[in-house]
Amino acid sequence: MTAFVQYTLSGLVIGGLYAIVALGFYIMWSAVRAVNFAHGDTLMLGSVLAIALMWAGVPLLVGIPLAIAASAGFGLLIERIAVRPLNHGPSSVGWMLSTIAIGLMLEAFVTITFGADPRSLPSPLMGAPISIAGAGIFPHELLVPVAAVALLALLDWFYRATMLGRAMRAIAQKPVAAGLMGIDVRRMALISFAAASALGAFAGILAAPIIQVSATMGLLLGLKGFLVAIIAGMSNARGIVITGFAYGVLERFIEGFGNTSLREVLGFGVMILLLLMFPNGLFGQREVNKV
Amino acid sequence: MKPNRFTAGVALPAVVFAVVLVAIPELVSNSFQLRAVMLFLIYALVALGLNLLVGLVSLVSLGQAGLYALGAYTVAILATQTGAGFVLAMMGAIAVTAAAGVALSYPTVRVRGVYLAVVTIAFGLIVQNVAIDWRTLTGGTLGISNVPRIDLGTGPLSTTGLYGLIAAITFVGFVLHHNLMHSRIGRAMRAVAQSETASRALGIDPTRQRVLAFVLSSVFAGIAGGLYAYLNRYVNPDTFSFSDSIRFLLMVILGGSGTTFGPLIGAGILTWIPNLLQAFGKWQLFVYGALLASVIFFLPKGIAGSARDLWLRWRVGRNQSVRQADAWPKPSPGVDALLGVRATVRGPVLQTRDLTIRFGGLSAVSGVTVDIERATVHAIIGPNGAGKTTLLNALSGFYAPTEGRVTLLQDEVGGRSSVQIARGGLTRTFQNTELFPEMTVEENVRVAFHARSRCGFLSTVLRLPAFHAEERLQRERAALLLDYVGLAAYRDETAANLAFGHQRRLEIARALALSPEILLLDEPAAGLTHAEIDELIALIRDLKRLGVTVVLVEHHVDMIMSVSDHVTVLDYGEVIASGAPSAVREDPRVIEAYFGAGTVPTGAHA
Repeated sequence: MTAFVQYTLSGLVIGGLYAIVALGFYIMWSAVRAVNFAHGDTLMLGSVLAIALMWAGVPLLVGIPLAIAASAGFGLLIERIAVRPLNHGPSSVGWMLSTIAIGLMLEAFVTITFGADPRSLPSPLMGAPISIAGAGIFPHELLVPVAAVALLALLDWFYRATMLGRAMRAIAQKPVAAGLMGIDVRRMALISFAAASALGAFAGILAAPIIQVSATMGLLLGLKGFLVAIIAGMSNARGIVITGFAYGVLERFIEGFGNTSLREVLGFGVMILLLLMFPNGLFGQREVNKV
Repeated sequence: MKPNRFTAGVALPAVVFAVVLVAIPELVSNSFQLRAVMLFLIYALVALGLNLLVGLVSLVSLGQAGLYALGAYTVAILATQTGAGFVLAMMGAIAVTAAAGVALSYPTVRVRGVYLAVVTIAFGLIVQNVAIDWRTLTGGTLGISNVPRIDLGTGPLSTTGLYGLIAAITFVGFVLHHNLMHSRIGRAMRAVAQSETASRALGIDPTRQRVLAFVLSSVFAGIAGGLYAYLNRYVNPDTFSFSDSIRFLLMVILGGSGTTFGPLIGAGILTWIPNLLQAFGKWQLFVYGALLASVIFFLPKGIAGSARDLWLRWRVGRNQSVRQADAWPKPSPGVDALLGVRATVRGPVLQTRDLTIRFGGLSAVSGVTVDIERATVHAIIGPNGAGKTTLLNALSGFYAPTEGRVTLLQDEVGGRSSVQIARGGLTRTFQNTELFPEMTVEENVRVAFHARSRCGFLSTVLRLPAFHAEERLQRERAALLLDYVGLAAYRDETAANLAFGHQRRLEIARALALSPEILLLDEPAAGLTHAEIDELIALIRDLKRLGVTVVLVEHHVDMIMSVSDHVTVLDYGEVIASGAPSAVREDPRVIEAYFGAGTVPTGAHA
């Protein structure tokens, strides 16, 4: 019973992280039907910058916003130089390769300058674990799923209630028509990538006291986040968060009863099967093919 | 047998490649260098296989290292644990990777592009983690050591002997890769990548082509992995990571995807470059990423692709003769023999009974019953949104009927795929002209012969006499058809470069290459000039003369009245009139559907 609660709780923590990563993919995909494939690296960038600034003596309260802002700038750059010139329709994958390339460069750069050893950020909430039904968890860890749900609510409000959000939804549905209505499609793309990257950096910093921060931390986080987003169906934010939690819990259970390799094997296996059974996603809408 | 353009273009470089392979043991100074060459050849084999996937069917795999690993582990396990010899172990690797290829290609039925790339990444990670975790079989992170030397019955192979074997296998792989690319199979694969819709209308099954490409690329990777196990005599999970999959893909893109020599060039550069990158010390990985980025931005067609483009431009620059399309149709005895329809069944060739197509709650076509008679021109007209194109899509198998029956040549076909219907003698053109834009005019026509080809896979990749005979026959027939539509002068032009009216002609020529009994034309006159419409009318009459049944969806009233034997009028998905053109023209319900009330002004474009 205790193990059951423990796996569920820690599953919700890692699942919350996947959900936030997946929401970043959702934001980018909605705007341009393409994503920063190195989105996982924005988590790495945000947390590495926050740690580096802390080492440089900048207080965390200043350093964290700076790290997030810098990551947003990275997102702008990715959209402008790596995605926009190579995004020529639904089947083009040039942007995928170009963003992977930039991700490789970023990882290599961070390995050299920051070092290959994993680090972490301190948090006042990592002092003593609290006990829930016999399972131990640090208060800071609970912040992750809470943040995922709060971000979902915020996004929901933004897309529904603000002019900018409505414009983005219009672009997601009919980019050409949205452009004709005077919406600046390119500006929206830039904003989306900046917002997604800021969100990624925020997730990285939030997770930095819990998981190991290193140059290569982004690959698996990004891949799993993307899988979560497409399994859920790219167009449904709520579904994405639910799927993220479910995947996190599933992983923790497999890991608990097996090991980390088995976690990847079964986790990815289940994801591929789900994608085959529901090609439009568990929560997505069917798209009719027109001849 | 006169060599065609492609074999002539490749023969010399292939001979050079073979000579270099033979000379290399004499050129390198030590076995360390010889091993580096072997590694290059193994990578080249993976890249050649991946090129079939990326270059022909335009699917991107980022899990090729997983397939390579499967081959290497299968050989290592069979050789160390069961004592299997080289041939048996390699057969095992081929079987395992072919099965994995089938499994991996299954997603392509439903997902493509970036989704598929993610599935392949996940596949690669699954393989790697299984290798780490299944310790009893794979030795876990320690891997499998002491893979025995190859023994072909004459004692363990020396390093030079191993080189000979690897060089021979890679060379055979190279030749098969080239032969496949320049064959009907290669053309069908490219067609599927360029327009899935048009491929299906020509009876080419896109799924089959994708599965074939996936299996072939998997087997290439598996054989390469097996050779790697024998070369290294040690396999462990570190060799098969995600970054290795990226490297394989980079080899293909850097060299030039879809070209014969690109994979060799890419594999060569990326095998030597780590040595060059030593100079960059710890910046190696960074430079590697920068290289990938620069290739994608500045050399998206790769080295061989860009070189080919330059050469083509230079050739076009030198050959500035003015080409002109001929008047068409240009009947000839050859075309008559090719297209003439011999009646096989009596009665209507195409019938529907109470055909209904619903989307959600909306009926686009409801209760339509028509009989289309052999060797007639049957027009389907109606106001915008009347359901004409939906009906055409149902007749050609692109939509399945919700209710009712469709009978083609007395064969119930409702619910059959467009591929089967096309093979059954009915094909079509499209409202928005669906060509294979990056193929030449001649290739566009030749793709359509695919469904009727008799020459099998082995005869094709081995270039047996049957292959050459069929290629020659198809070239002749393509020439006949291009001459028929007056495009002979444009044979080697890229289809996308044709003028709009010429694209229409090409689409019709391509459909005729199937020798259809029934041809559906979806608004063939849209966007054409008056002169071009007159030629189109002449074509339709000529097809009728040859016994081809033409079903015509059209808005151009003059044209309909002058060529049709029978007109069916749809409104809101229902048949409101059907009969001879003159009778339909006077039908009050038709007049009302078009104008609400009043009369049809003569010569109006409804």
